Amino acid sequence: MNKITILGLLMIGAAAFIFMNASKDVSTYSNFSEAVSTGNRVKVVGTLSKDKALDYLPEVNPHIFKFYMKDNKGNEKQVVLSKAKPQDFERSEQIVVTGSMQNDQFYADEILMKCPSKYKEEEINLRKRS
Amino acid sequence: MEQINYIGESLWIGHLSKAYIFGAFVTALLSLVSYFVSFYAKTESEKVSWHRIGKLSYILHGTFILSLLILMLYAMVTQRYEYSYVFDHVSGDLPLKYILSAFWEGQEGSFILWMFWHVVIGFVLIYRNDAWNTIVMATLAFAELWLISMLLGIHIDFAGYHFKLGSNPMMLLRDINAAPIFSNADYLSLIKGRGLNPLLQNYWMTIHPPFIFAAFALSIVPFGYAIAALLQKNYTEWLRPVLPWALLTAAILGISLIMGSLWAYEALSFGGYWAWDPVENTSLVPWIILVAGIHTNLMSKATARGTRSTFIFYLSGFLMIVYSTLLTRSGILGDTSAHAFTEMGLEWQLTFFLLSFLLPGLALLIYRYRKIPVPVKEEAIYSREFWMYVGSLVLFFSAVLINSASSLPVFNAIMRYFDAGYIGKVIRDPIEHYNKYQLWIAVFTGLLSGLSVWLFYRISEIQWRPLITRLSFHMLVAVILTWLTSLWISLPQWHFYLLGFASWFTVSSNAEYLIRHARNHTKMTASAISHMGFGIMAVGILASGLNFSYLSNPFVFKGLFGGDGDEEKYVQLIKSKPLLIKDYIVTYERDTLIDKARFYDVSFKQIEMKGNQMKVIDSFITRPNAVYANDFSKIAAFNPDTRHYAGKDIFTCVVSLPAAVSDSEQAKAIEDSLQYIAYKLLPGDTVSLNEAVLTIDGINYRPRHSEYALHRHDIGFEIRYHITDKTGKREDGLCAIGLDGNILYKYPGKHENFGIKIRPAESLIDGLLTPEEQLNYKTFTVKKDESFAFNGYTLRITGFDKETDTLRYSAEPGDIGISGLVEVGSKDTAYLVKPIFVLRGNAPMSIKDYIPETGLHIRLSRIDPTTGEFEIKVAEDKRGNLLLPVEIAKDVPRTDYIILEAKIFPGINLYWLGSIMMMVGLLVSWYFQYRERKRWT
Repeated sequence: MNKITILGLLMIGAAAFIFMNASKDVSTYSNFSEAVSTGNRVKVVGTLSKDKALDYLPEVNPHIFKFYMKDNKGNEKQVVLSKAKPQDFERSEQIVVTGSMQNDQFYADEILMKCPSKYKEEEINLRKRS
Repeated sequence: MEQINYIGESLWIGHLSKAYIFGAFVTALLSLVSYFVSFYAKTESEKVSWHRIGKLSYILHGTFILSLLILMLYAMVTQRYEYSYVFDHVSGDLPLKYILSAFWEGQEGSFILWMFWHVVIGFVLIYRNDAWNTIVMATLAFAELWLISMLLGIHIDFAGYHFKLGSNPMMLLRDINAAPIFSNADYLSLIKGRGLNPLLQNYWMTIHPPFIFAAFALSIVPFGYAIAALLQKNYTEWLRPVLPWALLTAAILGISLIMGSLWAYEALSFGGYWAWDPVENTSLVPWIILVAGIHTNLMSKATARGTRSTFIFYLSGFLMIVYSTLLTRSGILGDTSAHAFTEMGLEWQLTFFLLSFLLPGLALLIYRYRKIPVPVKEEAIYSREFWMYVGSLVLFFSAVLINSASSLPVFNAIMRYFDAGYIGKVIRDPIEHYNKYQLWIAVFTGLLSGLSVWLFYRISEIQWRPLITRLSFHMLVAVILTWLTSLWISLPQWHFYLLGFASWFTVSSNAEYLIRHARNHTKMTASAISHMGFGIMAVGILASGLNFSYLSNPFVFKGLFGGDGDEEKYVQLIKSKPLLIKDYIVTYERDTLIDKARFYDVSFKQIEMKGNQMKVIDSFITRPNAVYANDFSKIAAFNPDTRHYAGKDIFTCVVSLPAAVSDSEQAKAIEDSLQYIAYKLLPGDTVSLNEAVLTIDGINYRPRHSEYALHRHDIGFEIRYHITDKTGKREDGLCAIGLDGNILYKYPGKHENFGIKIRPAESLIDGLLTPEEQLNYKTFTVKKDESFAFNGYTLRITGFDKETDTLRYSAEPGDIGISGLVEVGSKDTAYLVKPIFVLRGNAPMSIKDYIPETGLHIRLSRIDPTTGEFEIKVAEDKRGNLLLPVEIAKDVPRTDYIILEAKIFPGINLYWLGSIMMMVGLLVSWYFQYRERKRWT
């Protein structure tokens, strides 16, 4: 066996090792009940509960934004996000938050929103010349 | 259905562009076929003539593409909104300088940009016409065939399935939308374009896409050469001509990556320069693979080793570009990426595009793999080629890791194809994940590039002592520099020390190499520049990426999120109120609206305490801004502003604004929710509001409210007041009401510090101003300078003025007008008024003047030139006692603050310097290889 082959095998080994290890970095999209039962850090997909008030009082604390979110199973929980309220949040179609459950609240530090494509919703005939 | 004859459409543009697209498709196909026939032709004359047909059809194809590009730009510049692409990307208020950005904002435009570069490259290849030309050109034509097919816009219904082949950008808007407006023949006069996304209205959007697509287009050339070499069974001679192309591709792609990084950092609110976003990753991966290919290419040119790997790398480089196109354009990345294109429904076509290059390429490589020569004798462990090979494998390994992780959404999509209920997998914390593994790649890259420069190709003997001495020296330098680095920035774990060491090692080692060879072997300096750049970049990342800090009040949060406590990231800045943050006094000074962006001036004063003396050691202003949506209804995005220093950057970005400021709908909701309480007050009266007391001071008959002046008014009144609190803090205020014709405008007084808003009630006007029809005019017939009395006032015409334009009257053509100068005297004051007499045609008109303080209305209603007599009409407002009606709301939310994120990035310039050096090295190498090849051919 030559050196490069040995090296190649070593790298494949390393790749396998990393692959096994990286599986810890990977999770499925979860829901609130799973977050409660495992207590783990997870990503939850859901939609904003638009009937409930958004709570962002930058005068008091600009780092805490609270809102209610329904996960894909229809479970509703309050999310405590340690970020400023994102722009256009009210219009989001889907939300993905990363964090964990504590005392019936979901503490998140990452958020991704899917917003309706900028202009898709608007009708052409609404855009009359002003 | 009734046929409508639409007004103002330029249908020829659509017809012509369809002809161009179709022509470009046919000629690309013809070119591809001809080049292939030429390649497999038996006789030399057949080869030559088919080659010529291939060449001519490619030139024709290029002409079609260029014409299409010009035609579409023409339609965009002239705003032909009947075409969907123009409607989607242009608007009347879009400055002409952004027309190119608007052109390649959409998928179709960017495909054309890509094809444009293929055309340019094709012309260069045709001009050079080397031994590999036929197949390289055939590959290019094949890619063009696919790309132009994306614009065909043909719909096929077959066996119950609906296929869409491409999407034509020059479709008529009314053909693809069924809106009621299209029943109007003159619909074009009613619509305006959607315009360019305000986020993309900056110069980055003008320069970044041409670079990235030039790189995309260039990457097919190494691919084409590899295919040509495999088909021509000539496995070694292509290594020389392909090298400059690969170097240029890697340089341009790398420059595009740096530009994207700069764009994200300078102009977007991502708060950093690299986020391991799948869109970024899929452009980085081909770059890494190409760089690995360049290493094996250099090596195989010198030692005949690594030829097979060069094939693999160059083939997969282009394939990864197509793969990244598939990822960013198909919508598959969905919620894992912040900036992919919007979907166009072409994911299957893109998949076949990829497969049509992947499968034949792979088959050919496997079929010919054994034939690719490999030297019999194994390389020595101390030879340069061995360690370069190891380096290439490390790079390839890195590409595999990045690509596997960013391909998770693809994996999920495939699984879901077989099992609809499959629950997709996702990386929980992507940035952490990538950093963790790529750190080791960087360590190996640093060590290998620092070591291998001192080794030689094809040696069987080595002198160990000088090598060991030299390496030990550079390791010592690296240890010292790493230690110094650790004094400057914090390296929290041992592997960061290791990365620091590896980086400084390659910097030091390559610096010596550079100094030694700069004079005699200029060509050799290229790799040293790139490798030093790599080390410097890695140190820059350690400094700026690992050691950035927030300019905020630390650790208020402790414990809330379980761990040691999160650092506060943002600060609330109230206008004109200085705030001490760490050693800076930060003040939000003012805001200014420029075009579609509101700029916030934030001043920073760095202070130092010397004993009891406070000294300002540095002072600067940043201007982050908020961009409004095209219709100004809300704020669409925030853009940062950064203060640059040699050793650090201070990055500032607004992250949030008061709801009433950022969205007009919410502003209305908030205003509606305020509870105004009505009062009727006399001057001197007071009202208690929470902790504060409001006192009415009186009335102004000529309002001074700052917003009142911005509008036209016939008449207005204003209430003066002041507010004080227990501590004696006092604010004076004004609230005004103004009348323009029949429209009433209110100008409230707002007191952010007290949470109070006060506005006059409409009845203020009624109490002061009697409507015209209820006035009792008294008529006087007088001569000039003759005094007369009215309700205790003495009036007199003192003269006349030809200047008649006032707020109440502007002359129309044919008007004959004159204003009388009437002096009105009361006990203590005199006023001068200018009532106007106008003859319009034969009809006399009188335009009154008004003295708000006295409530006198004065008209000049008749002029008799024969007798020199004038008719003056005077009336007085029926004013009662001066009860001022006001409405006051308390607990009004503040609107005069910003939430600011301020970040300090130490050493970020090392990152930019290092990454630019890497590309400079590639360009230098390209230049020398290009010159060398010229000499050989």
